[in-house]
Amino acid sequence: MLGKTYHDLDSLRQRIAALESRPALAGVPISPERALHPSPLLPLPPGAVSEVFADQHRDAGAALGFALGLARGLVTPRRQAILVLQLADEAQETGVIYGHGLAHFGLMPDAVVLARPKTIMELLWAMEEAIACRAVAAVVADLGKLHKALDFTASRRLSLRAASAGSSAFLLRYLREREASAARFRWRLTPARSGPVPFDPRAPGPPRWRASLEKGRLAPDRPVSADGEDYLLEWTANGFVLADGDARPQGDAGTRQPALPRPRFAALGDRLSQTG
Amino acid sequence: MLWERIKGGLRIAAMDEAAAERGLRIDQPIADARAIVPELEMREIDHAFLEQVFADFADWHSNASPIVSVLADNTRYGDLLLDITGVTHLFGGEARMLQSLVTRLQRLGYLTLGGIASTVGAAWAMAHYRPGSILAPGDEKSALADLPVAALRLSDEQIVGLNQMGLKRIGQLWSRDRAPLLARFGESLLTRLDQASGRLAERPTPRVPVSEHYAERRFAEPIGILDDVLMCAHDLAIQLGLRLETESLGAQSFHLFLYRVDHKLLTLSVNAARATRDPLHVSRLFNHRAERLVAEYDAGFGIDMIRLAATSLAPLGSTQLGAFETDDGAADLDQLYDRMTSRLGPLAVVRQKFVDTHIPERAVKLEPVIARTPDLPAAAPDPLLPRPLRLLPRPEPITVIAEVPDGPPVRMIWRRVGYRFLKASGPERIESEWWRSGQRLGFLLPGATEMAAARSEGSVGLSSLVPEHVMRDYYVAEDEGGRRFWLFRQGIYGHDRPPDWFLHGFFS
Repeated sequence: MLGKTYHDLDSLRQRIAALESRPALAGVPISPERALHPSPLLPLPPGAVSEVFADQHRDAGAALGFALGLARGLVTPRRQAILVLQLADEAQETGVIYGHGLAHFGLMPDAVVLARPKTIMELLWAMEEAIACRAVAAVVADLGKLHKALDFTASRRLSLRAASAGSSAFLLRYLREREASAARFRWRLTPARSGPVPFDPRAPGPPRWRASLEKGRLAPDRPVSADGEDYLLEWTANGFVLADGDARPQGDAGTRQPALPRPRFAALGDRLSQTG
Repeated sequence: MLWERIKGGLRIAAMDEAAAERGLRIDQPIADARAIVPELEMREIDHAFLEQVFADFADWHSNASPIVSVLADNTRYGDLLLDITGVTHLFGGEARMLQSLVTRLQRLGYLTLGGIASTVGAAWAMAHYRPGSILAPGDEKSALADLPVAALRLSDEQIVGLNQMGLKRIGQLWSRDRAPLLARFGESLLTRLDQASGRLAERPTPRVPVSEHYAERRFAEPIGILDDVLMCAHDLAIQLGLRLETESLGAQSFHLFLYRVDHKLLTLSVNAARATRDPLHVSRLFNHRAERLVAEYDAGFGIDMIRLAATSLAPLGSTQLGAFETDDGAADLDQLYDRMTSRLGPLAVVRQKFVDTHIPERAVKLEPVIARTPDLPAAAPDPLLPRPLRLLPRPEPITVIAEVPDGPPVRMIWRRVGYRFLKASGPERIESEWWRSGQRLGFLLPGATEMAAARSEGSVGLSSLVPEHVMRDYYVAEDEGGRRFWLFRQGIYGHDRPPDWFLHGFFS
């Protein structure tokens, strides 16, 4: 039902795009394999601009990790480069992307290039230029503050560029306010407590995020669930997976461990004997 | 009249003819000069400005000949030297070229002397002692014979010494035995002598990069608008591209020289990551560079010549399109990086280069992406070590409460906000490298003053904490909200002062 409406709309969009001789903005066709992919996020349809909103600057690491995780799914043999843009004077505020940490996200550090423009105008120029390049998989831009230059027109420009060139863009924002934008997806991202690590309950596990899709729809065929599209995601070597909320530590009682490490050898031995 | 402070006194440094007629002379104290000519107009001489003007002059004359240099060893601001080999026919012969260059400057109100000879030394002597004369090749010895020894570009002591010995003319030197001259006046005298006669070759150092591959255009009417200049640069890039193609060459650096009517030279240079001759790409690079420099662009009274030169040449074969082309987009990427670099600046577009060290802020060097150097295999990161996704260029001091010494942190205050950690792992100990510091076991701590100094400097880069005396214990700590931080403790408990804690990075 929804699918039929969508297809009608889509065919109309295609016709308008043909009349205007420019690519259809919203209706990038999604192949059936993609729609059937078990992970709800990957692969993200290419050629789209996504905004990732985190509440504060201190969540910058989580936002970058999420964007790089999405960008990784967009890397193809033809499109290998990922550009990270950051204003030069925001380096100390949010930190500079660090090559040694990229390996955990399955990215070749060689493919990631950092650009540090001085002004927001230069950043937008660089972003547009990079999106237009056919060898760029994704552009990730750190935009900490509210910028006047980044208005609806600017985001519309970026969206059109991305749709015509087929590369994706991620705007990382650290704000609670939402501005009008032409981005196709808008995520609200908060870091979530990591899951348990085998043999060491006190250690942080693989990263987790709570991502809610505020705008846009990942798969048009799937009906929208009642509570919006809200995911608890965990990063594994194979990409994002949905984490089951029950595995999370329940409250503080379970996680408050004694300060001194307890002897763990017995438990370890038990488990080994059970498996053997 | 221009005065200058010499040996504690104010003395005349330069003056015009009218002043000379009234009986003033160079080096006269200005008190005397004022007594002779009470209405004298005086100003202090500005050497830096004069040097700058002279350098501009020298650069501008590269429109007459590709090799322009300044002989700086004798006169105060140097002498302009042009290598006019093979260019005189463009000006209608040597005599007319000399005349046109000299009269052009004279009309601007400068006192100009010039001469042409086939050696640098002889040309210098002609310009200074027989202005306007032109020596045919081979005539140097006879022409120089009558000139005073000062025409050999010698130092003052050498001239005085030669005069004391009665050697006043260069001709007297030709026949002298060389060994006593060498013993008395040093090697430089003989070198100058040989250079003047042509026995020893002398190569001037060019002021502007010399390139055999260039395209240029002269304008009948000077142009001024930047867009016109860039359009012309595009035309020149097409010409230059064709010329390079016939020789199967590409270039990595392109220089655009703009010759202003009022004897100034403006230069725009761009670099490319890989050798290219694509006119579109080259002119786009110039466009981006010009956009960046638009505030500094000043055409003055107009530009009457533009030259586009290519340097850093490399062989570049014809490209094949179609069947066997490997189309991986690498060329597009390089062009993208070139454009971004030309607009944003050479250090703004960087990649991560790994360095073989354990100290986190030193383990990555930001390297311009258009000047890529090969990676060291030994420096590749260890994927098993926990490393953050974002690293703070300068670690920020935090206040930490740890329940046990050497244990993971429990609470911290960072940027005036408190965090409570639920999980933590570590420590991972990273010590300073003994071959760097020589104080491997010295637990010297960077004092608060040092940190403050580092902060006030505002230095940019991934290394700012002095890594010389480092013993750090790194922890990964996760707070209640799931944020993960990379903290380290510098120093150990049980010493005179408690250890310092820093925040160094963020995990996702």
